[in-house]
Amino acid sequence: MPDVPDAAESTRGNRLAAAALVVWAVAVVAAFGMLGRYKATAATQVPDGPPLVWPEESALPRTPGRPTLVLFVHPHCGCTQATVTELGRLLGRVRGPLDARVAVVRPEGVPDGWDETALVGRAESIPGVAVFRDAGGAEAARFAGNASGFTVVYGADGRRLFAGGLTSARGHEGESFGGRRIVSLLETGVADRGDAPTFGCALASTAAAGEEGTE
Amino acid sequence: MSDATTEAAVQAIVERADRRFQRSRRDLWVSMDRLFAALMAGQWVFGLVLALTVSPWAWAGTERSVNPHVLAALGIGTLLSGMPIALAFLRPGWVVTRHVIAVAQMLWSALLVHLTGGRIETHFHVFGSLGFLAGYRDWPVLLTATLVVAVEHFVRGLVWPESIYGIVNPEWWRFLEHAFWVVFAVSFLTVLCRRGVREMRTLEERGAELEALAESEWRKSSVVTRAAS
Repeated sequence: MPDVPDAAESTRGNRLAAAALVVWAVAVVAAFGMLGRYKATAATQVPDGPPLVWPEESALPRTPGRPTLVLFVHPHCGCTQATVTELGRLLGRVRGPLDARVAVVRPEGVPDGWDETALVGRAESIPGVAVFRDAGGAEAARFAGNASGFTVVYGADGRRLFAGGLTSARGHEGESFGGRRIVSLLETGVADRGDAPTFGCALASTAAAGEEGTE
Repeated sequence: MSDATTEAAVQAIVERADRRFQRSRRDLWVSMDRLFAALMAGQWVFGLVLALTVSPWAWAGTERSVNPHVLAALGIGTLLSGMPIALAFLRPGWVVTRHVIAVAQMLWSALLVHLTGGRIETHFHVFGSLGFLAGYRDWPVLLTATLVVAVEHFVRGLVWPESIYGIVNPEWWRFLEHAFWVVFAVSFLTVLCRRGVREMRTLEERGAELEALAESEWRKSSVVTRAAS
């Protein structure tokens, strides 16, 4: 076999390589497009949304006269790592009083320790955050939370200010509409909207939810 | 020795130096292609391990399924690493091979940013990669890499700005600011590339001169040996 291919063979080889490169480029663009689409797909919001006024029957503590933020998390949701990071940043940006709660949803029938995860540990390590277990997802259901990362904020007067997510995409750190709106609502009382998309794993199993999950 | 003979001897050395230089450059490109093939394989493994470690499962209550991030690391990672590895072994030293490697390397940065949830620290991969690509001592490769970063930032900045800039309403020209820092690094690396090529050429010219001298000495000693016998 010659070391240097003849001209015809070389041209044929180049054409083959060019065709393969075009297919490769299209596949790469399509794959990144699919990944971007997945990351930008938010959970479906519950139609009525959370109660407009803090529900008195809630087992989560609330101090009258102080705004309260509640973040619902699935203890195993990888996407929620970014939400917990953003919660920490958000608390650093809010200058006024704010009671922050993280409700770890613990479905019925799971073994002991199922909800002891690194994610929950990270939430517990944020100064000023109180972590609670939400047995059976009762509190999540009460606040119309169906996806991990769903956050509600109630004002000092107990009225709902915000409901939605704290990240700009699934498992993606960085500034988000949700975070900006919460800061604006708490500091100025106004924002362009009182909601934002939530990106995260479904809090209830698809069978329990009775509908398609968010993942 | 006549002028014509001297000129012919000099011309022979110049041609020899040029051949040596071309061979050295090709050897460098082939070796860099192989090095990047290994890096591509390493990044593929790293991306997969990262996806499996950070968020292996997508959950719905107590049900779990494989997280699409794992599939992305597997699928996109295979695409990004597969073509450069194939070219590095099937067409080592080919100009297209190193440009495809540059494209894939910069897209690996984008994939790793996705897989790490947009961590700002992962963006350092871009600058590390530019340094590696400078090893080709072929500045157009750096230009290709810069273009990929600029286009990727421009497109992503239009459709999903907060994933790059960390703010939700950046100015339209924000991609230029990011591209500037890439250009900043690339411009210096380009100077180093050109200097490296010049040094390589000087080295090969000296090598050619030494080779020619050794051959001349060998011819002289052969003549003396033949005459003596």
